[in-house]
Amino acid sequence: MRVKNGKDFWAGLMFVGFGLCFMTISLRYPMGTTAQMGSGYFPTVLGGLLAILGGAVFLRAFVSKFANPFHVFHFRPLLFTAALVIGGAITFAHGWLKDMPMTKYALVGMALASFIGAFGPRALFVILLSVVIFGYAIKPLGLVLAIVLLIVLSALGGYDFRKKEIVILTMGLALFGVLAFVKGLGLPFDLWPGEW
Amino acid sequence: MDSLLLNNLGVGFTIALSLQNLVYCFFGVLLGTLIGVLPGIGPLATIAMLLPVTFGLSPISALIMLAGIYYGAQYGGSTTSILVNIPGEVSSVITCLDGYQMARQGRAGPALAISAIGSFFAGCVATVVIALFAPPLAEVALRFAPAEYFSLMVLGLVGSIVLARGSLVKAIAMTILGLLLGLIGTDVTTGNLRLSFGLPELSDGINFIVVAMGVFGFTEIIINLEKGRSREVASKKVTGLMPTLEDLRHSFGAILRGTAVGSVLGILPGGGAMLASFAAYTLEKKIGDASRFGEGEIRGVASPEAANNAGAQTSFIPMLTLGIPSNPVMALMIGALMIQGIAPGPQVMTQRPELFWGIIASMWIGNLMLVVLNLPLIGIWVKLLTVPYRLLYPSILLFCCIGVYSLSNSAFDVMLTALFGLMGYIFVKLECEPAPLILGFILGPLMEEHLRRAMRLSRGDATVFFTNPISGVLLGVSLVLLLITLAPAVRRKREAVFEE
Repeated sequence: MRVKNGKDFWAGLMFVGFGLCFMTISLRYPMGTTAQMGSGYFPTVLGGLLAILGGAVFLRAFVSKFANPFHVFHFRPLLFTAALVIGGAITFAHGWLKDMPMTKYALVGMALASFIGAFGPRALFVILLSVVIFGYAIKPLGLVLAIVLLIVLSALGGYDFRKKEIVILTMGLALFGVLAFVKGLGLPFDLWPGEW
Repeated sequence: MDSLLLNNLGVGFTIALSLQNLVYCFFGVLLGTLIGVLPGIGPLATIAMLLPVTFGLSPISALIMLAGIYYGAQYGGSTTSILVNIPGEVSSVITCLDGYQMARQGRAGPALAISAIGSFFAGCVATVVIALFAPPLAEVALRFAPAEYFSLMVLGLVGSIVLARGSLVKAIAMTILGLLLGLIGTDVTTGNLRLSFGLPELSDGINFIVVAMGVFGFTEIIINLEKGRSREVASKKVTGLMPTLEDLRHSFGAILRGTAVGSVLGILPGGGAMLASFAAYTLEKKIGDASRFGEGEIRGVASPEAANNAGAQTSFIPMLTLGIPSNPVMALMIGALMIQGIAPGPQVMTQRPELFWGIIASMWIGNLMLVVLNLPLIGIWVKLLTVPYRLLYPSILLFCCIGVYSLSNSAFDVMLTALFGLMGYIFVKLECEPAPLILGFILGPLMEEHLRRAMRLSRGDATVFFTNPISGVLLGVSLVLLLITLAPAVRRKREAVFEE
């Protein structure tokens, strides 16, 4: 059998995966009866439906009249496996890592980075990682430095990086961010690295 | 018009004309025009960004502003379509066809003017349509039992499935995935924690801003960067803004038809601005001299532009009267209501009439502001187009991040948004339309709640959904809609429409 429509092939697998995942988790919750539905009823039914539909999409990939290449986007199995291994290790060593928050953060970061990096183009990796870094930097480093990190890192993901422009843009946005969000809207952000 | 309606509209105008609300209305339409002009950022991402900010506003000001962004974007989007041949918004894709041709023939001014005039006319009519049709609809909906509500939501979801582009099965699967994601967190009926993967951060469920921002905002940026596009402004100088009398006379009918098509399609579940503009253009082409379309026919600008604005506005009807969003933007509006502690549904109109009528009145005022903003100030918007995307996207990213972070001041939400960004990218690459997912996500918990209630009332008898007349009709319509879409002839036509 040859896969005619790569997009259907992967979409089908994705839906089946999601469906089975939701269904198996939901099976652990009380089902109840049709008159008194428990927490598990609706999600189990939906998960099963999703898996069935996913199966249909998957099978359609072999007979589809639309032709799409098997490789829809970059996928790096090595990084993906690495992400799963690190992620599994974190779950496994959960209790042991409790006393070492920094190590745990670093490991979670590595798992996340390799997971995102396993898919798609450079822009995807750079943009999403700069976003995650912003999220984790804003509390310890303060808003200003977090903005600097976000803008500079995300600009690296573009197709045309100009140093001078980025410096000006970063300063402008940092100033605007502080004035608009902290002074104007009163959002409770620290501006600079505080005591932590 | 009866006196009650006039009375209500009067109340609405007093609220909308208060200084504070005028300022928010102006801010909304200004921002809407801005992001409409700029390709690469749409009303959806903007509204999602601003949602956390609206927490500090009064409900009415918040909704007036957010609504302004949506219909403002319809005005702004046409400017980019006409001048650059890149749609500023998805709803102005079709305007590129004839609008850009007109610009190349040196008639950019009349094209811009007719699109603004058409939009204004459509906006005014749509406002009246909402005022006339929404109250009776809400009255009917107030008497809905759980079974009827459940079926209504099924119809809403089926609508968005039928109108999604691409494969029908994938759209259904995306809806179900959205419903499932919506169920994560605490089960409202029993108080049990479920599907939270042991993460305490998920006990309140996933905030839908996280989903919307990831799947729409981030994904859009990544896809744009991957394409690495450049754009050029066709004509930097727009001269001779006013259309001739001949132009006006020629396009008057087109504006009328566009308004009618847009008003009807906006109300339908799954409808809204984009669908309206496509349908209006097709209709115009059928009626008029088809060979002139695509060559700078002014009707090809007037009709879709009127339609997308009308559709944008009338899509508020199901949101305001039934509490059911007909498109992702309306789903965000529902979110804005919930942030304000207002449960969306037909009771909004009876309990908070000032909210409903204030929004209606503000739409009319907003449209007036937009004409002023768009016609004389067109030069400013054209200049804006020269801002390169490499400067734009880091700024957009920053606003998205701050918006998400401020939801609960947690890095976890930001990380989750990034994961949804990744999912969104995969969805796009696999041709899975994300709009049904977002609707499912919003409706998931509501649907389950009504399903449970209906089943409890009927003592576990599922036939209640078919024996109850209203519910039966709604489910029947859903089924027919699905079957029609599956019919070979319609299927081919549907594929052709989305190909264009």
